[in-house]
Amino acid sequence: MTSWGPNFDETITRLRRELDPMTLIQVVIGYLTLIVFLVLPLLSMVIEAFIYQGAVSLYWFWDILTSVEFTSLASQGGRMFEVRRGILILWGIDHGILLNSLIVAFSVAIACSVIGIILAFIMARYVFPGKQMFQVLLLVPLLATPFVNAYVIGKLFDPRNGLINFILVDLLHLLPWRLDIDGLFGITFAQTLAYYPIVYMNVVASLNSIDPSLEEMAENLGAKGLRLFRTVTFPLMLPGLAAGAIMTFIFSLEDLGAPIGFVGARANPLARKVASYQIYSSFAEALTGGISPKTAALAFIILIVTASSYGAVRWYVNRRSYAMLSKGGRWSPRVKKPSTRTRTLVVVFLLLIIGLASMPQIGTVILATTDWATSGTLPTEFTTKYLSTLWTNSQVTQAVLNSLLYSVVAVAAMILVGSSIAYIVGKRDIPGNKVLDTLATIPVAIPGISLAIGYFLFFSDVFRDTPLDPLIDPALLIICAYMIRRLPFTTRSVGAGLQQVDKSLEESSMNLGANHPTTFYRIVLPLIISHMINGAILGFVYSMSEVSASVTLGALREDRVPITFFISQIVYGAAATGSVSIGAALCVLLMTVQIAAMAISNFILKQKTSFLGV
Amino acid sequence: MVNVRLINVTKRFGDVIAADDVTLDIKDGEFFTFLGPSGCGKTTTMRIVAGLEFPNEGKVFYDDKDVTQLPSFERNTGMVFQNYALWPHMTVKENVAYGLNVRKVPKDEVNKKVQEILELVKLGGLGDRFPNQLSGGQQQRVALARVLAINPDILLLDEPLSNLDAKLRVEMREEIKEIQHRLGITTIYVTHDQEEAMAVSDRVAIQNYGRIRQVGTPQEIYNKPTDLFIATFIGKGALMEGVVEKVGELVDVKIGDMVLQGITTNEDGVKPGDRVACVMRPECFTVDEPDEAFNIIEGTLEWSAFVGSITELKLTVGRFSLLCDAPSDRTYEAGAKLKIYIPKSRTIVLPWMDLD
Ligand SMILES: Nc1ncnc2c1ncn2[C@@H]1O[C@H](COP(=O)(O)OP(=O)(O)O)[C@@H](O)[C@H]1O
Ligand SMILES: [Mg+2]
Repeated sequence: MTSWGPNFDETITRLRRELDPMTLIQVVIGYLTLIVFLVLPLLSMVIEAFIYQGAVSLYWFWDILTSVEFTSLASQGGRMFEVRRGILILWGIDHGILLNSLIVAFSVAIACSVIGIILAFIMARYVFPGKQMFQVLLLVPLLATPFVNAYVIGKLFDPRNGLINFILVDLLHLLPWRLDIDGLFGITFAQTLAYYPIVYMNVVASLNSIDPSLEEMAENLGAKGLRLFRTVTFPLMLPGLAAGAIMTFIFSLEDLGAPIGFVGARANPLARKVASYQIYSSFAEALTGGISPKTAALAFIILIVTASSYGAVRWYVNRRSYAMLSKGGRWSPRVKKPSTRTRTLVVVFLLLIIGLASMPQIGTVILATTDWATSGTLPTEFTTKYLSTLWTNSQVTQAVLNSLLYSVVAVAAMILVGSSIAYIVGKRDIPGNKVLDTLATIPVAIPGISLAIGYFLFFSDVFRDTPLDPLIDPALLIICAYMIRRLPFTTRSVGAGLQQVDKSLEESSMNLGANHPTTFYRIVLPLIISHMINGAILGFVYSMSEVSASVTLGALREDRVPITFFISQIVYGAAATGSVSIGAALCVLLMTVQIAAMAISNFILKQKTSFLGV
Repeated sequence: MVNVRLINVTKRFGDVIAADDVTLDIKDGEFFTFLGPSGCGKTTTMRIVAGLEFPNEGKVFYDDKDVTQLPSFERNTGMVFQNYALWPHMTVKENVAYGLNVRKVPKDEVNKKVQEILELVKLGGLGDRFPNQLSGGQQQRVALARVLAINPDILLLDEPLSNLDAKLRVEMREEIKEIQHRLGITTIYVTHDQEEAMAVSDRVAIQNYGRIRQVGTPQEIYNKPTDLFIATFIGKGALMEGVVEKVGELVDVKIGDMVLQGITTNEDGVKPGDRVACVMRPECFTVDEPDEAFNIIEGTLEWSAFVGSITELKLTVGRFSLLCDAPSDRTYEAGAKLKIYIPKSRTIVLPWMDLD
C-alpha cells in the first residue's frame, strides 16, 4: 500500500483513478453499514446516557457508581461456603449489579484460562490413548444450547433432587454435604464450562506456532520443567492466552443464557443481579415507556469495559505477535509419551472435565427426548413429542421460520458487506482504509446487549414509524444486529482468502485490459468463493443461535420472535411450568444445524475453522 | 508499436526512492533492457510504464499521448510477471483467451488466435491443462502467449527467465529475442543478469538506487562505461586507484611510482589532482611485448588457471590485484615477476567513487 501524500491534487487524481463505480459502491456499502448500524446507534446510547433533565450530565453514571444496588464493596446478600442443614451453599456474594458482572466475568476469564492452559498443554505435548476423540469432545461445550445449559446445571446441582447430589451424596457418599450451586457462582460455573474451549483453542494455536527450537534451545541451556514453562513457553503463548481470555471476559459480561437459565431453574433472585440481565429486563418496559437513561448508562459502562480491555489486549497481541511467528515452515510438535501412571491420570482428568462440561449438552438432549415424573431425579420414559413440536406447534414453527429467514438474510448481507470491506481494505489503495478496517473490527468488542440498546434508542427515534422502527417491526433490526455482530469474522474470513490471491493475479488481469469490476468477478471471486461460502455457513450458525439481540429486540413483537427468544421465554417461565422440554428440542435443532455446518466446512470446503470462528 | 518516453519520472515508497528522476526515450520496435542490482527500481520503473504504479512526479508518453495517469487496462501493454501470475482456476486456453474475451472479440476468432499463439510459443497440445500441471518453462510460455494474444503495443518482461534452470534460460532468451524480432514489437526487458542483457538487447539502461546511470548499446556500456559503478557491475574488470597528473589527449594517472595513460568517458570528473580509478578488462591485456605505445605493468604472478582457450592469470601489483587473459600455449610460474601490457585506448580512467 502506498501512503497518501500531503499533496491534495495528487490524492484527487488517484481517487479519480481508483474509484470506479464498483469500488465506489463497495466503499459506500462498507461505510454506510458501519455508520448506520454501528456508530450511530452506539452514539445514541452515549447521548442518552449523558443527558439528565435536558442537560449534559454525569448524573446517571454517578447514580450507578454510588448506589449500593449497582456498586457496593460491602456484601448486599448472597451466601458462599455456608453449610446449612447438610447443604453447602455456593451462591456468590452480591456486590451490586455492576460489580457482580465484573467479578463474574473476571472469574470466568481466570477459570477458563487455567483450564484452557492445562488442557492445551496436555493435548499439545502428550500422547495417550483416545487423544483424537478427546480433541473433538473437548469442543462439545461450543454446541449451542442457550439458556437450557444453565438450566440443566441449575437442576443437576439442586440440593433437593439434583442428579449430581444424588450420585455424589446418596449413591457414592463422596461428599459430606449436598451442593447448592446457584446465583452468581452458578453463572460463573456455567459460563466457565461453556467458554473454556475458547481459551483452549487459542492457546493450542499459539503453542503450535511456537518454534520448538526455542524450547529446545532453552533446554540445552539447562532450563527444565516448570522453569522452562515459566521463562520460555508461557511468555511465548501469552498472546494466544490473552486473546482467548478477553473473549471469554466479553462473552461473560454480555451473557444472558446463564442468568436466565438459573432464574428458570431455581428462581433465586441473586441470578438476576448482573448487568446483562438488568438491561434485558428493561426491554420489557421498552414497549410502554422506552429505555431509561440509566439503562443506557449501564450499557455504556459495560461497553467501555469490554472495548477498552479488548483494545488493550489487541494492542498487546499485535506488539507481541513477532514472537509467535514460527521461523520458516512446519515443525513436528514436541510430543512426549508419558509413563502409564501419568497417562491414566491425564485420561481421568480429561474425562472429568469433559463429563462436567458436556452435562448441558447431554442434559439438553435428555430433556428434549424424555418425560419425567413430577420433580424426579431421573427421566422416566422416552418420547418424541417435544421434538415433533418443531413442526406441529405453530408458535414453535413460527420461531424456527423466523430464525431461518433472519439468518439467511443476515448471511447474505454480511457476505456482501464483509467481502466489500475485505476487498477494499486488503486489495485497494483508498484513503481512509485504516478507518474502515478498524470500524469493521469493533463489533467484536461490543456487547450485544449494548448494541441492542443503541438500536432501540436510535431507530425508534430517528426512524420512527418506518420499517426500521423496532416498535413497529423488530425483524429488520434483528437481521442487522446479526449481520453487524458477525461482520468482523466474515471480513476476516474473506480477507484470509484474499491474502492467498497474489496481487500479480489481479494486476495481470488489468494489464490485459480488464477493469476493476471485471477483474473482481473473473479473477478474485472464483479464487475466494470457498472462503465466502465457509464464512456464510459459520455466519448462519451464529445467527441461528445469537442471543443478545434476539431476546431483547425480539421481545418487541410476538410474531417476530426468533428461536433463542422463544427458548428464553420457555426457560424463564420454567419455574412456574416445570418443563423446558420444548426449549431443549429447539436447542437440539440448533446443535444439529451447527454439527452439519461443521461437517460441510471441514469435509467439503476443507477449511480449518473452529465452531465459533474465534 | 509505439515509442515510450519517460520524463523526469520519480517514484517514492516512503523513504525509498524506487525511481529517481528517470528520463528515457525507448524507440519504436526497440528491445530495451533495464539492468541493475536487485532492489534498484527496475520493476518499479517497468510497472510505471505498464500503468500498475503511478509516479509521484514526471510524465510518461506513448508516442505523443500522455498516459501518466491512465490505468493499466487502458494502455494495451502486455506484461509478463516475474512469477508468471497465471490464473490457477483457468486452463491454458482460458488464460490465453482472457485478454481477447475482455475485449469482446467474437468466439471463433478468439479460438483461432489462441491456437495460433499457442503454436507460436510451442504449446500446441497443452491448451486444456491447468497451470499447475505445467513445468516452469511451459508456464513461462503461457505467460508470454497470454500477453502476445492481445497484440500489445509494448511487451514488458520482468526477469522472465529468473525461475528457469541455466540451460532453459539460454534457450528461452533466444526464443524471446526471435519472437520479438518477428513481431517487431517495442519490448522492455528487466534483468539483473548482465550476460542476458548483453545477449538480447538493442540498448541497455543501467540503473542503481533508482537512478539511470547510463544508456547505450551493449558495446558502449561494456567498452565505454561512464562511471565506476557501471565499469565494475558490467563484465570482469580490475581497477587501480590513483591520482590524475595531467590531462591532455590522454589522461596521465599516477599510481604509486608508476604512471598509466588512458582515456576517459567523463571529462568533467577527471581533472589534475583528482582521485580516479583505472579500469582494465582482462581480455585487453597481452603478455607479449607489443610494438606500439602500451601501458606496461609489472607484477608478481599469484596464480594461473588454465581454462581452455586461455589461461587466467592473477597478478599482484602493489596493493592491487589484476586479472589478465593470457595465451594458453605456455606455462606460467607462480611467484615469478611478469610484465603485462594494455593499450592506452583500453585503459579507462573514471572518477573514484566508493562502492558498496
Ligand atoms: N509497493 C512497494 N511498497 C514499498 N516499497 C516498494 C514497493 N515496491 C518496491 N518497493 C521498494 O522499491 C525499491 C525498488 O524495488 P523494485 O522496483 O522491485 O526493484 P528491482 O525490481 O530492481 O529489484 C526496493 O527498495 C523495494 O523495496
Ligand atoms: Mg524486480
